[in-house]
Amino acid sequence: MKARLMIGCLLLVSSALLHASDGKYSVSGISPVLRMNAHAVVRLEELKFEIKSVKEAVQTNHYVITVFNENGDRWAQFSEYYDNLRSIVSAEGILYDANGTQLKKVKKKDMGDLKSTSVGTFIDDSRVKFHNFYQRTYPYTVEYTVEIAYKSTLFFPMWAPRASGGIAVEKSSLSVVCPADYQFRYESFLYNGEPVVQKEKNTRTTTWSVNNQPAITKEPYSPLWHEISTVVILGPTEFQIENYKGNMMSWKDFGKFVYSLKAGRDQLPDNIKQTVHQIADGLTDPREKIARLYEYMQKNTRYIGIQLGIGGWQPFDAKYVAANGYGDCKALVNYMYSLLKEAGINSYYSLVRAGKYANYITSEFPAQQFNHVILCVPLQKDTVWLECTSQTLPAGYLGDFTEGRYALLINESGGELVRTPEYGKNENLQTRRIKAVLENNGTLQVKANTNYEGLQQDDIHGLINNLSPDKVKEYLHEELDFATYEVNKFDYKEKKTAIPSILEALDISVSNYATITGKRLFIIPNIMSRSYQKPAADSTRRYDIQLGTAYTETDTVEIQLPAGYEAEALPADVSLSTAFGTYKSTTKLADGKIYYYRCMEQSSGRFPAANYAELVKFYETIYKADRSRIVLIKNK
Amino acid sequence: MKVQSILVILLGLFSFEMSAQEKAKIKFGKVSPGDFKAVYPIDSNASAVIIGDIGSTDFVGNDKGSFALEFKRYCRVHILNKNGYDISKVEIPIYRVDEAEEELTSIKAVTYNLENGKVVETKLDPKSIFKEKISKKKVVKKFTFPAVREGSIIEFEYKLKSDFLFNLRPWEFQGSYPTLWSEYIVGMPEFLNYVSLTQGYQPYYIKDQKDKRESYSVEIKKENAMLSGSDRINFSAGVTFFRWVMKDVPALKEESYTSTLSNHIARIEFQLAEYREPFIPKKVMNTWAETARRLLDEEDFGKSLQEENEWLNDAISTAGKNAKTSLEQAKNIYAWLRDNMTCTNYNSFYTTKSLKATLNSKSGSEAEINLLLTAMLKKLGMEADPVILSTRSNGYAYALYPLIDRFNYIVTRVVIDGKTYYLDASRPMLGFNKLGYDCYNGHARVIEPNAAGVEFKPESLMEKELTSVFITNDANGNLVGSLQHSPGYYSSYSLRSRLKEKGQDAYFNDLKKEAGGEIEITEPAIDSVNNYEAPLAIRYSFKLPTDKEDIWYFNPMFSEGWKENPFKSTERLYPVEMPYGIDQTFLLRMDVPPGYAVDELPKPIIVKLNPEDEGNFEYRAVETAGVVSIRSRIRLSRTYFSPEEYVMLREFFNLVVKKHNEQIVFKKKK
Repeated sequence: MKARLMIGCLLLVSSALLHASDGKYSVSGISPVLRMNAHAVVRLEELKFEIKSVKEAVQTNHYVITVFNENGDRWAQFSEYYDNLRSIVSAEGILYDANGTQLKKVKKKDMGDLKSTSVGTFIDDSRVKFHNFYQRTYPYTVEYTVEIAYKSTLFFPMWAPRASGGIAVEKSSLSVVCPADYQFRYESFLYNGEPVVQKEKNTRTTTWSVNNQPAITKEPYSPLWHEISTVVILGPTEFQIENYKGNMMSWKDFGKFVYSLKAGRDQLPDNIKQTVHQIADGLTDPREKIARLYEYMQKNTRYIGIQLGIGGWQPFDAKYVAANGYGDCKALVNYMYSLLKEAGINSYYSLVRAGKYANYITSEFPAQQFNHVILCVPLQKDTVWLECTSQTLPAGYLGDFTEGRYALLINESGGELVRTPEYGKNENLQTRRIKAVLENNGTLQVKANTNYEGLQQDDIHGLINNLSPDKVKEYLHEELDFATYEVNKFDYKEKKTAIPSILEALDISVSNYATITGKRLFIIPNIMSRSYQKPAADSTRRYDIQLGTAYTETDTVEIQLPAGYEAEALPADVSLSTAFGTYKSTTKLADGKIYYYRCMEQSSGRFPAANYAELVKFYETIYKADRSRIVLIKNK
Repeated sequence: MKVQSILVILLGLFSFEMSAQEKAKIKFGKVSPGDFKAVYPIDSNASAVIIGDIGSTDFVGNDKGSFALEFKRYCRVHILNKNGYDISKVEIPIYRVDEAEEELTSIKAVTYNLENGKVVETKLDPKSIFKEKISKKKVVKKFTFPAVREGSIIEFEYKLKSDFLFNLRPWEFQGSYPTLWSEYIVGMPEFLNYVSLTQGYQPYYIKDQKDKRESYSVEIKKENAMLSGSDRINFSAGVTFFRWVMKDVPALKEESYTSTLSNHIARIEFQLAEYREPFIPKKVMNTWAETARRLLDEEDFGKSLQEENEWLNDAISTAGKNAKTSLEQAKNIYAWLRDNMTCTNYNSFYTTKSLKATLNSKSGSEAEINLLLTAMLKKLGMEADPVILSTRSNGYAYALYPLIDRFNYIVTRVVIDGKTYYLDASRPMLGFNKLGYDCYNGHARVIEPNAAGVEFKPESLMEKELTSVFITNDANGNLVGSLQHSPGYYSSYSLRSRLKEKGQDAYFNDLKKEAGGEIEITEPAIDSVNNYEAPLAIRYSFKLPTDKEDIWYFNPMFSEGWKENPFKSTERLYPVEMPYGIDQTFLLRMDVPPGYAVDELPKPIIVKLNPEDEGNFEYRAVETAGVVSIRSRIRLSRTYFSPEEYVMLREFFNLVVKKHNEQIVFKKKK
C-alpha cells in the first residue's frame, strides 16, 4: 500500500516538472508507474476500423511508442503485410528524441519491401512493407500512421493495447465506424465497462479506450494473453470476399459461407472413381474403408502450399488434386472428402486453429480464427479424424498439431463447433525397460526397450518417417544424453492404430557411464529418463499456472554390476503426490544387481498462482531425484 | 604427424588429357518399366537417387553486338520414398540487372509412374510455373512436379540464355542425394578465357577436351536511330569442348564442427579472366593489384573512399570527441559507429546505398558500415583500407586468383604509428582491433593499390579461460567460498549480449538454478562489462549447506567441467574445423571440512593429444596439510583435424569428461 502512495506522489511531481520547451512526446511526460518493468511505452494508439460497405473496409492506425532500451527496439520496427486482398494505402513514420524534438521522417515510398512467404508455403502473394529508424540513443520515440484498405470484410482487426509483456500503455483506443444499418460484433476480455457509441447521420462509431496500463512481466506456464491483458476481438455479420458473400452471426452461418467456397469442388475424374470402388467396395467395415482410402490418399498426394488470392481460403477442386497429386490442407481435405463421398461415406471439412499451443479460440465468438483444415468422419459410435497433409499418420490420430481443441464442422446446412479428441495421461505413455551390464572399466552396455504411445510418440514418429535409417542413426549418435557412447543397434516398430505406438529397441555402449575411482564406483541408476524441467523460483507469482500436455512415464531398470562391490550409499526412495502430478522412484541392490523403478505422471490443467512455489518444488525434487547416484565400494 | 588437407583444390587454366567416350545412358522421355525396378547399391538408404544430371554451356552471338551464354540442363531422378519428395520442387535462379534479365526458355518436366506394368506420363502444366522476385538482381522461377509418388521417376530440362558473360554457371556434382552420373560440358571459345576452380574429394570419371571450329553470328544494332536495322557479323573461331563427368557420387552429409559443407562439395566454378580477339583484348581478371584498383573505382565498393566526403565532418567531430592521439581518435570513431549504427545484413560485399545514406539511415550492411568507417578514418588522414574476406560459413577464399565471388565480408584495416589494427564496427559490443571468429577463415585481401594478402588463421585465436575456486568452512559446517571466472574473449562477447538483454540478476539467478537452488550467492559482480576489448571477469561468494553425513561425496568441478563429449558421432567423413584454439584452466583450493578426512581423491592424469603436443590435458588433485588442491588444464592449439585424427580427438575428450566427473570422498573421523 505504501509503495503505491509513493508512486502517486512521484506522478504528480513529474508532471509538474514538464519542461515548457519539450515537444508533446517528450519522455519526461511519462509516469514512473508506466516505466516500471517496461522496455517501451505506447504513448498513444488510435486504431480505427471503418466498414465502408459489405465489400470494403479501411483500417487506419496511428501510434506513438517511446522506447527505453534495446529490448524495446522491436516495438519501434514498423511492418505491415499486404496481398491481393489487403493493400497499404499510405504509411508514414516520424522519429523523435527524448525531448520530443522531431529528428526524421519517412514516407511509404522510402520503406523497405520484401516477399514474406510463410514457412512451409510453396508460393503465395503476400509481401511486407517495413521500416526502422535504427535509433540507438535511448530513450527515443517513434510515431507511425498507416492506412490499409481491405477488399473484403472477412477479416477484422484485433485490439490488444499491450501487445505483450514489457510494454506499458499510456492511452490507446479502438474505434469501429460502420454504416448506421450495419451490425458488427465484438467480444471483449478484461475490458471494464461498455464501449461508447456515437451516432452520426449515416454512420455509427463505437469506441473502446484504456489509459495507463502498466507493463506486464511474463511468467512461465502462463494462461493465454486475453486472460491476462485487455483484448477486444471484432467480427462481421454480413461480409464478402471476392464474389462470395457470407454472414458471421453464428457458427452455423459462417459454416454456410465456408461450404459455399467449396461447394461443387468434389468432382472426381472417372479413373479415380473406379479406384475408390476397387478399394472400398469389397470392404464391409466403414472404419476399414476409411483407413484404406486414407492410405490411398497418403500414397498419391503430398502437401504443397499454394495460396494466391481467394486460393488462401478456397480449396482447389478434387480434379486438380487428382491430376497433380498435390495441394494445400484445404485441397487435400476436400479431395479426401470427395474420395469418401464416392465410397458412400459422409464426412465434414473442418476448420481448426492448428499448432502445439495455438488453441486460442473463443467458442462463443464466431470469427475467422482458423488456420488449418482437417477432415471429420462420423461413424455410428465414434468419429474418425483425418489429418490430410500427413503421408504417415494413422487414420484417426491427430497429434499435438490439432488435438484437444474446437473445430468447426462444415456441411450444407452450416457450421457446428465440436472438440477434437484430447490425449491425456492414459494415452500419452512412455514405458521403458532397461537391462544393462556394467563392465569393469565403467562402460555400460544398455539394452533399452521403450514403448511410446499417443503424443509421446509424435517426435519419434517424425524421426523415423522423415529420415533414412542412416540419418536416424546419426540423430541417435548426436542426441542421446550420454557423454561418449555408441549405438550398436536400433530398431523401431510402429503400430498405426488410432492411438499409435512405437516400440523402440536400442542397444548402446556408454563409455565411462559409471565413475570408477580407486575403490569406489559411482553410478546413476536412472539411465535414460531424466527430467529437464526446472522453473525459476518466483516469489511474486501473479497469474494462474497453465500446464500443457499430460503424460505418464514408467521406467524399470536392471543393472548387472561387476563383482566385488557393495553398497556405500543408496539414494532414498522418493514419492510425491501433488495436484500437478505424481512421482515415485525406488532403488534396490540385490544379487549383484541394481533394481531401479521410476514413475512420473504429469497432469494438465489450470492451477492457482499461489501454488507456484509448490510446482517449483515438485520439479526441483524430480530433477534431483532423477540424477541421484549410487555409491558402491569394493569389498575388502 | 603433419596435418594434410585431403581436400583437392585444383586451381588453374585448363589442361586435360584426352579420354573416355562414354556417355550417359539416359534420354529425355525414354523411360521403360524396367527403370522403376532399379536398385542402387551406391546407397541402399537413399530416399531419392539422381540418375543423371547433365549440363552444358555454349557461347552464341547475341543481338547486342556481343555473346551470350546458353546453359542447358537435363536431370532425371528416381524418387524412392516420400522423404525424397523434396527434390520434386525445382527452383531456377535468374539473374537480372535493371531491364536486362536472363532468359529462361523451354522448361519441360514430366513425372513417370508405373501403373499396372505400364509407364504413365504426367506433364507439368506451364501454368504451374511460378515466378517470384527475390531481389533487384534475382528472380526465381519455380515449379513442383505433378503426380509424384513413392517410386516416381521425374525429369526436367530447361535452357537459359544469359548476356552476362561473367555468369558462366558453376556445376555441383554432389548434393543431398546420391548421383549416378553428373556431367558438365563447356564449349570454351578462343576469344574468351575463364579460370576454373575445382574442389571436393570425388575423382573425375571422365575429364577430356576436344577442339572444334564453330561459326558465330553477332548482330550489332545501328546506333543512329535514323538508320534502323542492324548489321550482322559472321565469323568462325576455335572452340574447346571441356567435359567433366563424375560417377556414383555419394550424398553430402552434415557434420558438426565443419565450418561449411560448401568447402567439401564436389564442384567446378569459373571466373572470367580475359577477352581476346575479336573483342578488344582485355584482361578481366589479372592480378590482385589490378582487381583492387578496379574495386576502388567501383561505385558500389570503393569509389567514395577516394572522394573528399565533406558531409562526414559533422559525424567526425561528434564521434572523434577530444581525442589526443590518432589511436584515441580511431578508437572513438570506431566506438561511435559501432554504438550508433545497426547492421541490417551481414555477408554482403557490394554496397546497395551510398555511404552518406548509410550514415543518415543509421543502418547498413557490414560492408556499408565498415566502408563508412574506412572513409571516416581516411578523412582524418589515417592509413585506412577495406579488407575483403570470406567468413567460415561462406567457405574458403583463395590467394592465387582474385576470384571476387568467393568473398562475402568487409572489415577495415588501419595502420597507426606503424601498428596494424583490424576493425569491424558492424557488431555491437565487439572490441577495437577484434574480429568475430567467423572471420578467421584463411585468406583475406587489403583493398589498396598493392592488394596485400592477409591470413586470418583460426589457430591464431586462443580462447583462454580461467576459473579459480577457494573454499573454507564456516562455524556451522557450511562450505563458504569464492569463485572467479574469466571466460574466453568470444564467450565473453556472447555473454555480453545476454547480459544486455536479461540483466546481471537474471544471469546469477540462472547460475543459482543450475547449481540446484541450495547455493547462496552473495557479492556477485561482473567486471569489464563495458570494456569490450577485454574478456569478462565474473566473481561471487557462495555458501553451500552440507548434509553432514558420515561419507560425503563432493564434485570439485562444480558446473565448470566438461559433461559431454563434443565429438559424439563415432564416424567422421570431413575434417574437424574448430573456430579457435582452447586453453582452459580450473583451480580449486579447499579446506578439508572439520571433523572429516579425505578418503579418496581423483588420480592425476596427463594426456598428450599427439607427440607434437598440439593438445594436452592435465589433471592433478593433492591434499597437503588439510588443504585439497585441484588443477585441471585443457589445451588444444590446433584447430584443423583430418578425419583420420577424429578418433584421437574423440578419445581425448572422453578422458576429459571422465576425469571431470570424478568425486572427492570425505569421511567423518571416528
